[in-house]
Amino acid sequence: MFECKDIAEEASNYLDGDLPLGKRIGLFLHIVICSCCREYLQQIKQTISTVATIKPQEQHSTDTQALAEKLRAISKGEP
Amino acid sequence: MKKNAAPEQLDEKGLIAKLIDGDAAAFEFVVSQYHSTMLSVARAIIGEAFADEVVQEAWISAIKALPRFEGRASLKTWLLQITSNGAKTRLRRESRQFSLDDGWQAEPDSKFDQRGHRIDDVLPWNIDTPEALLENEQLRAVIETTYQKLPPHQRAVLTMYDMEGMEMTEICNILELSASNARVLLHRARTALHHSIEKYQEN
Repeated sequence: MFECKDIAEEASNYLDGDLPLGKRIGLFLHIVICSCCREYLQQIKQTISTVATIKPQEQHSTDTQALAEKLRAISKGEP
Repeated sequence: MKKNAAPEQLDEKGLIAKLIDGDAAAFEFVVSQYHSTMLSVARAIIGEAFADEVVQEAWISAIKALPRFEGRASLKTWLLQITSNGAKTRLRRESRQFSLDDGWQAEPDSKFDQRGHRIDDVLPWNIDTPEALLENEQLRAVIETTYQKLPPHQRAVLTMYDMEGMEMTEICNILELSASNARVLLHRARTALHHSIEKYQEN
């Protein structure tokens, strides 16, 4: 029998559909009876859509405009 | 679950033609679009010190090779593959295996009783629609800080899977990870972000 802790550990695999059928069914049966885990899974889904919307970027100090111009010059064979 | 990031909708053939043509706007577009993800990949493979250099070199070799780009993969995958190859070459033949058996937990044990049941309720979030999220400066700052503090491998997998909508097999190939390692890293990254949003919601 699966418990809340198992849901917390397997939430991504469950949502991404990357689990063997037996485990998937076992987790599903727990989710049916546990409102906390339903809420938790919902929050993980929200986390994923939030990060996909906000699209945080790597920290860097590259001047991307200057880089684009340098690459354009290289492609044109300019020194 | 349906993946969030939309597949590439831009006309890649047109974009590549413009690049070969030397169109300045096209160069600015690709750099702004892909530089950060290339940096994620390089940092994951080689670490902070050489990542910038590896990405710059990857850009240059990609631009030089562009006339020979055959479009078998998307431009993004191709750029990331070049970045990954460059980073790996730089790294030589150092072993890429690292242990995931480090006592990591999705939630601390204190949240569960001895039978693995949650002790406290999971409180519902009051979260905005995706459109409103973009306006929410505070939440954006929380997410950005957490994202930037993630270990590089977690950040790279999360970036490519959840933000760029890439397939797990492509990601594993680029980062030279097993599928199970990549899945674990993805879940850890999502969990870290979940914790930070949870904290934000509590305040």
